[in-house]
Amino acid sequence: MASILLKNVVKSFGSFVGVQDMNLDVVDEEFLVLLGPSGCGKTTTMRMIAGLEHPTEGEIRIGGALMNDIDARDRDVAMVFQGYALYPNMSIYENIRFPLRMRQVPKAKHDDLIRRAAEMVELGPFLDRKPGALSGGQRQRAALARAIVRQPQVFLMDEPLSNLDAKLRASMRVQIKHMQRELKVTTVYVTHDQIEAMTLADRIVIMNKGVIQQIGTPDDIYSNPANTFVAGFIGSPPMNLIAGTAQNGTFSAAGVKVPCPASLSGNITLGIRPEDCQVGGDNLQGQVYGVEPTGDITYLTVRTANKNIEIKAGREFRAPIDSAIAVGFDTTRLYFFGEDGNRVGVK
Amino acid sequence: MLVAARLCRSKSMAHLSQKLEKGAAKAAPAAAVYSVRRPRSAAAKKMFPYLLVGPAVLYLLAITLYPGLFAMYQSLFVVKFVNWSWAGLGNYTRIVQDREFWAALGNTAIIGGLSLSLQTIIAMTVAFFCYRDPFVRGWRIIFLMPMLFMPSAVAFIWKLAFNDGRVISDLLMSLGLASNNVDWLSSVWLARLTLIVADVWQWTPFLFIIFVGALQGQDEEIEEAARLDGASWSSIFWNISLPMMRPIIVVAVTLRGIDITTMFTNVYIMTQGTPGGATETMSYFIYRQGFRMFNFGYASAASVLMLLITIVVAQTIVKRAFKSGKS
Ligand SMILES: Nc1ncnc2c1ncn2[C@@H]1O[C@H](COP(=O)(O)OP(=O)(O)OP(=O)(O)O)[C@@H](O)[C@H]1O
Ligand SMILES: [Mg+2]
Repeated sequence: MASILLKNVVKSFGSFVGVQDMNLDVVDEEFLVLLGPSGCGKTTTMRMIAGLEHPTEGEIRIGGALMNDIDARDRDVAMVFQGYALYPNMSIYENIRFPLRMRQVPKAKHDDLIRRAAEMVELGPFLDRKPGALSGGQRQRAALARAIVRQPQVFLMDEPLSNLDAKLRASMRVQIKHMQRELKVTTVYVTHDQIEAMTLADRIVIMNKGVIQQIGTPDDIYSNPANTFVAGFIGSPPMNLIAGTAQNGTFSAAGVKVPCPASLSGNITLGIRPEDCQVGGDNLQGQVYGVEPTGDITYLTVRTANKNIEIKAGREFRAPIDSAIAVGFDTTRLYFFGEDGNRVGVK
Repeated sequence: MLVAARLCRSKSMAHLSQKLEKGAAKAAPAAAVYSVRRPRSAAAKKMFPYLLVGPAVLYLLAITLYPGLFAMYQSLFVVKFVNWSWAGLGNYTRIVQDREFWAALGNTAIIGGLSLSLQTIIAMTVAFFCYRDPFVRGWRIIFLMPMLFMPSAVAFIWKLAFNDGRVISDLLMSLGLASNNVDWLSSVWLARLTLIVADVWQWTPFLFIIFVGALQGQDEEIEEAARLDGASWSSIFWNISLPMMRPIIVVAVTLRGIDITTMFTNVYIMTQGTPGGATETMSYFIYRQGFRMFNFGYASAASVLMLLITIVVAQTIVKRAFKSGKS
């Protein structure tokens, strides 16, 4: 229901900079996912949007209006906290009802709204309990229900599914996405989980150490990583990164030789995804380090002089450890990164 | 079966400990010089813990239980110094018909009740307004200052301020609130007011410290969640902070309440029960009976009654408060 704009936002805690010069434009009705390693500033960013933390510098706008001096209460955002933050003295029913009461939603509507929200997170049987009598996953769902019970300008969700089992997580993921489409509420969603990010996001923001590394659609992030950090963060297993040198249209490293754009020279890092490698070929020579069958696919680790390379081999692939092996790359899917880590050699 | 099993276990235990001891003796001959282990009998071993806590228990018994029991015993006699004559429950039957006793009980309830309510409200209000203040966070201990003064000194300060020194009268006159000197002991309610003011001044900090501590201890994220849910600070307080603090409030107020029922120093120094016994609290009544009129048995009986009343009232309040807090 509103766009969010962060312009040159900085947040420092004393001398430590938690978020650095952040520029972010969340379009109206967009589902934006913040993805990054622990401590990279995702929660801090979210708290600034919510108004729980004041940016040290920069502007925050919601729906075009400057929010810097607007109290958290008046920003009309709903947030799912990483630590749930349920009210321990109230039943789950009262917890979910609290925002309705505080926002003066007519009493007659309360029960309907609460039951709908509770049903969505499969919390129906627990409405009479206090938060203390729920499991971690149930508390998390209660926190989610409390956020979605009303229709705010913005949803902020800080790892709302982190404590659920795989099955429930998958079903809640679909529900959240569906709900967001239906309610058309701009959503910022924080997660550690790539699958969650890939499946939910309209766009993903990858952060590291308080700095945005890349903003793009899931496809974009996956197939066009902007730098080695993004390349090494996305995918499971992530992209193989091999340091070497480029000269006269050939990239070489210990045991590795591939063609590269003629414009490249000097120290270059080669990136290749595990699924773009196959057993047999002439791009890489090494020894088998490990073979891990998982059923539908076999993970193969190949040792070269400098580095272990992960490969997704066919389901029936088997090989004795330490045997010599040759690997071929899909040379249309090679990535090259310069010394500063940024992508180079793109046509 | 069970007994056999037990025997078995204790046997194997004994065996094990023997082994252990042997091992220890072999392993540490040097240590043996320092810890000479005399074999102790089982009975001595059992007695050891009791010996350790014994002195403390004796001490407590001597200063609390003995006087208590003595008072209960004495309350059954008419005592004229060394002459004790058996009275049975005579003292008690006289007391329940004693107008002054009931008046003292009423005064204690009125003065104590008002004072306690005021303290609680003031302490809670101030705590609510300043618990996030960085200064209060760091220096809350200095708010305890009034409590650190000697009670009798505080009583004298207020006696000076109200009566002898006329500080407060002067203040009121200069503010135009009074036309001439106020004689604080001339009216029932003014006299009671002086006691209440003195008690509130000295003891509000006690409750304040506890309330501030409780508020500071609550999860900040919960407050933030409530802010985002649209709650004002006051509705956060009423809906979340206050209910969560309930057990702490009950305990603190009960402690303070028990303390207030024994209010003596201020009465003794500031009003002596005047005017017309309107400020005579139970403690002062007991003191007057015992040490002015030397009715020791009678005073003891009053003490025992007071103790019973306090226990019953406190117990009821605490029980109620915790029960309704749970449901
Ligand atoms: N109040 C604070 N004072 C000092 N440093 C802080 C404060 N809050 C956060 N930080 C620091 O800022 C950095 C970013 O924290 P943040 O909570 O945003 O991480 P995150 O990306 O949410 O991590 P996680 O995935 O583990 O939740 C961290 O290094 C953290 O230690
Ligand atoms: Mg976080």
